[in-house]
Amino acid sequence: MKRIIFILIMAATWSGCTDLEEEPIGILAPETFFTTTDNLQAAVDGAYGHIASEQFWGRKFTLSLLLRGDMVTIGDPTTSSRRIEVDEFRMNGDNGMVTSFWPRSYAIIGSTNYAIEGAASVEGTEEEVNAIVAQARFVRAFTYYHLVRIFGEVPYIDFAVREAEALSSIEKTSVEEIYEGIIEDLEFAKTWLPDQQPFRSMPSKGTAASYLASVYLTIGNWQGAYDEATFVINNSGRFGYALEADFQDLFDATKADGLVEHIFSIDFKGLDVISGAPGIDFLPPVTGMRGPDIEGWSVAVPTVAVFDSFDDNDYRKVVSFDTEAVFDGVTVPWQDFGTANRGVSRPHIAKYYRFPGTAGNNNRDSDHNYGAMRYAEVLLIAAEASNELSGPTGEAVDYINQIRARARNAAGTMNTFPEDLTSGLSKDQLRDAILEERRIELAFEFKRWYDIKRLNLGMEVFGPTSMEPQTNFDSTRDYLFPLPDDELGRNPNLLPQNPGY
Amino acid sequence: MNAKQTYLKILKKSIPIFILMFGTGLFAQIEITGTVTSDDGVPIPGANISVQNKAIGTTTDFDGLYKIEVPDESSVLLFSYVGYKDQKITVGSQRKIDVVLSASVESLDQIVVVGYGSRRKKDLTGAVVSVEAEDITAYPSATAQQTLQGRAAGVAVQSANGGEPGADIRIRVRGATSINASSDAIFVVDGFVGAALPAPEDIASIQVLKDASATAIYGSRGANGVVIVTTKKGKKGRMRIDFNTSYSTQTVTNTLDLLNAEQFGDYIQEINPGYVRGSADTDWQDVIFKTGQIANHQIALSGGAENVDYYLSGTFFDQNGAVLGSGLERFSFTNNININFSDRLKVGMNALGRRSTREGARTQESTGGTGSAGAISAAFRFSPDQGIRDANGDFTLPSVGDDIDNPFATTTQIFNESVNDLFQTNVYADLKLFEGLSFKSTLGYNVRNNREGTFFPTTTVRGAGVGGEGSIQTIKQTNILSENYFTYKNDLSFAKFSATVGYSYQKERSERVTTSGAGFLDDGFSFWNLDGAANLLFIESRLLESELASYYGRINFDILDKYLITFNARQDGSSTFSANNKWGFFPSGAIAWNMGDESFLQNSKLISQWKWRVSYGLTGNRAIQPFGTLATYEDIISIQGGELVNAVALQRLANDNLKWETTKQFNVGVNIGLFNNRISLTADYYDMITEDLLLDRPLPETSGLSNPVQLQNVGSLENKGFEIELSTRNLVGAFTWNTNINFSRNRNKVLELPDGEDIRDIGNSSPGHLLLPDVPILREGQPVGVYFGYVYDGVYQNGDTFLPGAIFEQQAGGERYRDLNGDGELNSDDQTIIGNPHPDFTFGINNTFAYKGFDLNVFFQGAVGGDMFNFTLLELNTLTGSSNATTEALNRWSLTNPNTNIPSAAQRTRIISSRWVYDGSYARLKNITLGYSFDERLLEKLKMTKLRVYVSGQNLVTFTDYPGLDPEVLYRSDSNSRSNINLGLDYGSYPNVRSYTLGLNVSF
Repeated sequence: MKRIIFILIMAATWSGCTDLEEEPIGILAPETFFTTTDNLQAAVDGAYGHIASEQFWGRKFTLSLLLRGDMVTIGDPTTSSRRIEVDEFRMNGDNGMVTSFWPRSYAIIGSTNYAIEGAASVEGTEEEVNAIVAQARFVRAFTYYHLVRIFGEVPYIDFAVREAEALSSIEKTSVEEIYEGIIEDLEFAKTWLPDQQPFRSMPSKGTAASYLASVYLTIGNWQGAYDEATFVINNSGRFGYALEADFQDLFDATKADGLVEHIFSIDFKGLDVISGAPGIDFLPPVTGMRGPDIEGWSVAVPTVAVFDSFDDNDYRKVVSFDTEAVFDGVTVPWQDFGTANRGVSRPHIAKYYRFPGTAGNNNRDSDHNYGAMRYAEVLLIAAEASNELSGPTGEAVDYINQIRARARNAAGTMNTFPEDLTSGLSKDQLRDAILEERRIELAFEFKRWYDIKRLNLGMEVFGPTSMEPQTNFDSTRDYLFPLPDDELGRNPNLLPQNPGY
Repeated sequence: MNAKQTYLKILKKSIPIFILMFGTGLFAQIEITGTVTSDDGVPIPGANISVQNKAIGTTTDFDGLYKIEVPDESSVLLFSYVGYKDQKITVGSQRKIDVVLSASVESLDQIVVVGYGSRRKKDLTGAVVSVEAEDITAYPSATAQQTLQGRAAGVAVQSANGGEPGADIRIRVRGATSINASSDAIFVVDGFVGAALPAPEDIASIQVLKDASATAIYGSRGANGVVIVTTKKGKKGRMRIDFNTSYSTQTVTNTLDLLNAEQFGDYIQEINPGYVRGSADTDWQDVIFKTGQIANHQIALSGGAENVDYYLSGTFFDQNGAVLGSGLERFSFTNNININFSDRLKVGMNALGRRSTREGARTQESTGGTGSAGAISAAFRFSPDQGIRDANGDFTLPSVGDDIDNPFATTTQIFNESVNDLFQTNVYADLKLFEGLSFKSTLGYNVRNNREGTFFPTTTVRGAGVGGEGSIQTIKQTNILSENYFTYKNDLSFAKFSATVGYSYQKERSERVTTSGAGFLDDGFSFWNLDGAANLLFIESRLLESELASYYGRINFDILDKYLITFNARQDGSSTFSANNKWGFFPSGAIAWNMGDESFLQNSKLISQWKWRVSYGLTGNRAIQPFGTLATYEDIISIQGGELVNAVALQRLANDNLKWETTKQFNVGVNIGLFNNRISLTADYYDMITEDLLLDRPLPETSGLSNPVQLQNVGSLENKGFEIELSTRNLVGAFTWNTNINFSRNRNKVLELPDGEDIRDIGNSSPGHLLLPDVPILREGQPVGVYFGYVYDGVYQNGDTFLPGAIFEQQAGGERYRDLNGDGELNSDDQTIIGNPHPDFTFGINNTFAYKGFDLNVFFQGAVGGDMFNFTLLELNTLTGSSNATTEALNRWSLTNPNTNIPSAAQRTRIISSRWVYDGSYARLKNITLGYSFDERLLEKLKMTKLRVYVSGQNLVTFTDYPGLDPEVLYRSDSNSRSNINLGLDYGSYPNVRSYTLGLNVSF
């Protein structure tokens, strides 16, 4: 009996020794994470991961940019209203696109801020550590550059938020100050980033310079834009930049990893994650045709006028548009796409749907690397800045003609179109030609809305005789997106809402 | 002699060996004989006779005769039989003792198991309701949880997916006390907190503890009520063999009236005149709905010798669902042994082993999205003018709308199998230290292994483009519990005092591994060759651990058996609580007054019992996930050079102040027995306020969290209501008729939310491919999960003024919505609360009749006043031409049919509106059983003690106006918060099934 009592007492007490402290295994804490440069890189890679999410580059943000511009409008009228609202300038602060990509934008920024502060405790030489910090600062600048153009004044947060209490003092920052921060980050990045990176999805020195050029162009600093763009062009060999020989290759996911034209790309891996996880690219299905056995969703579709605005002899038209599809074994021209349920009889964007590489259903979860900045755009920036500074010089015309020469290569067959620009243009004519070249060359690459805003073209490009008439367009309101109402509720410091919403 | 008889003979012969092994060598000296009869003079066979404080016992034979040997004349004989009052008789000089047991519907001396002990029913101060074995096994059921439906006031039980084999069962005691955390009641099986339930056939009784007086001793896990399960034990005496078997056939209770191929073609051509009609005319519901079967068997051996009793049971349950490809197979072994080691020490063990295999045809889609429709929603949506296979022999795709697998392909091609193994054991030692003081220690161990595999072959939409897609997930959960408590009892002259004090330690651990891949050489690999995938899609492994240490105690003070006082308290410390709040304290107190025993009522012919009860106390909900208060980085998918790289992203900010949710509950109740307890009534009123609700407080999104919220203790909600249980013995004598009625009414209200703001978009309630916002909303002053949307105002006619609004129609025949704020346009400000899913009341009515050998049980159950939101009808009858529709579409608006509420066929945006809100009230004949037990005299010749055959029917009749398949569904209730918020939602749900059962109960 004594023995049994002893056993019982043991049973009662063995379990008594616990301090109830948690010792997580397999869980990472930011406080103790930053020890090595590999870990620091993983924190920056988290920021790239947020960029390549459905809420940002995978659909919501890029689709908003497509629809907002004058090149693309809604194809399927039964699609979700948040998309229609963006397209038709009916959006409000509760719009589901804005409420998705706003928080994701700050998730990118938050990742960079944690990395930038975490670098202090990382072991490594200044060069090693700063080369990674420079990536983080580039990504921060990249994100704010989008935010400031979309929303105008937003909070410029350049510290790691560690406590909920710290958020109550966050306020809007002026546009000028945001641009100052962007330029400072890009200058730091240009200083510390290497000439080349293993992948184009990581920024290099040339990437920072290219974005500086773009930023300066946007704020009208022609000299800055010219200097940075020509710095990239003059060092293109050192940085490994050139135009791809065949324009189509830029939009073929199977060739995406080896492109020399990409200066900064958003890398998606086909079929990499289960449905519902972030990291999935949905641009192919939202731009692809909807047919009985073809699984695009016909959400973002150009108007016929946009299609007609491309010269039939331009190889880039062939690359940019799908004009026929095979439904149930029968080749159907675009004029008949509408016979499919919820289909629409218009040519569709081909840049993403045609060659998605390894991809899932509906060509979602594609293998594309999206060229967020490519060498052709640097040439276009250089041409525009040069024209603004010095008028229609041969230099500016030459940059354009490099792009046109490449466009004549139709998969090995040399077209005669587009012909070289002649040098007899006036400054205004050249400005128009450069803008038109941007529109054709960079069609559906999420640049057009920024050009419309930058050059104040809204009344013209959405007017009654335009390619995409939008009667709701209001130039006092629509150059800025509304701030998400939800966020204004969470942080009333951000009031007032942008004008007109 | 056949094999079975041989087997029985061997078993019977082995009993003396048991007795020898454990016997004490005591030999009785006095033989007592007699007869046990009921108060109407009928012999009671099978009544128990035992000697008090001795392990000696027997039962009466078929004529009520017994014979027992007692040690001496001071021995006290205890006579008992279910449904009758116990009697104690001191032997003295008597050698023949005839006993008349008086029947009672509700025996006040009945012992009710409560937390860490048991109480006489008469002495209870808390709100406790019991469900007996015969109700638990009234019809075949895969799980015991399901059988509680409609049986107890205040206990709401609902399948998450109608009649799906193996569907999750939600149990709510007095409503949902939480929003984000689980509101499921906690289960305690033979003292093991958090244990798995054995098969229904192995359960002796279930008690549900409802008020704080009863649940506070479970502290931080008591807020949702406690379900105490007692398994069957062997009785002293010869070995008993029970064999129960039944066979059922099942069909779905309802189908939707859909358009046929011709009507469908007419409808689609109104939208798309070029639509080419298919040549088939397929009734897709007919394709997937079939006659299902259940076979349910149990064999149990039980008995006991002087110092040991045992119960061994095996069950087998095999269900083929009423939807093609769905099924469940379960077998289990339950084993209870109790040994009186000495006069002071008792040891015992319960063990449960079980395997359940669920073959889940994808009947209901879980996450939605295109290309992944569930079979039932697909059967509604899919074009009726398509056949199962096309001319090439491939499975057809719909001729309109998104590509989805046809229902036949979904049920036959997609393979989903879930195998769940359970092993659970609980050992105890109960030591009497000295008179009045005892110590009990238990050690429980529970391990569950679940493996779920899914495969989409290339014959499916999802698998086609990618060479097949497979995934496998294994989860291993372990739960160890050590309970140690002292119980002290002292009967004073004027009062009885008892106290319990204890300590417990519990550790839970969960390990999960998930892998999926796509691109296989052959569909035949199923999910067993994921390493052969051309694309590895997903790999994950996770470990969660938590510890709980607790001190608890109770004091009962019963003065003159009339004034009863109870105090309970528990102090819980959990590893999951935050640094500043490691320990929570949960006290409760109750008083009760047996007014019926006061002199002024004691001799009342009318009133046989009258007890008042009142209690107040605090209980908690642990609610915090392991590591949930720490700042964490999470892995995030990031690609460099086309390959995955290590990447982290901020997941959560630290919260050092997070704590449990606390429910403060007040309860007042009364138990009344009239006419010698032929009528007994229990009524309770309660008011529960849950504070410190764990809710995600929205943080500014500039915080940089991918989900910018922080779990904080903000918000409160209330559940209040009343419950009535009425039991009557309407007829006694040769023909008996008993009725049990229970009635529950619960009012749920959100009192406080973070910053007073409405919360929407947290339930993920809508099928993904419909691209709709959430239907439920949380708003202060409203019940949890009320529906939020536009008010449907019928159809626009020619000449009407069309209200502007981005997503709204402006044409005759279009849907018209109400401009609630009168600003002349339709926008998000015109939404309002359009429905309340909480029923006004729920009820169960159980009638039992018996005459000679016949017994008849009729059980109705229902819920009245709750709304439902039907996504199925929203999808079908918005009439956008992307799916089939119900025959409601035949009345659609047209120039020739303008007087209708159904819009024209047209491409339009789907909108959440009052059009899809329906009254989900129902009453259903849940079970009807007619049984016949053969005459004992006949059985004696067959060496049997019981032979009963019965036929029964489940869900034979349902009274409801609900236009969906079944009002008992809970779409998207697959997580804690969703199960609290997503109420009354219906999308492609598995309907309840109508069953016919033929069964046999045999005892030897």
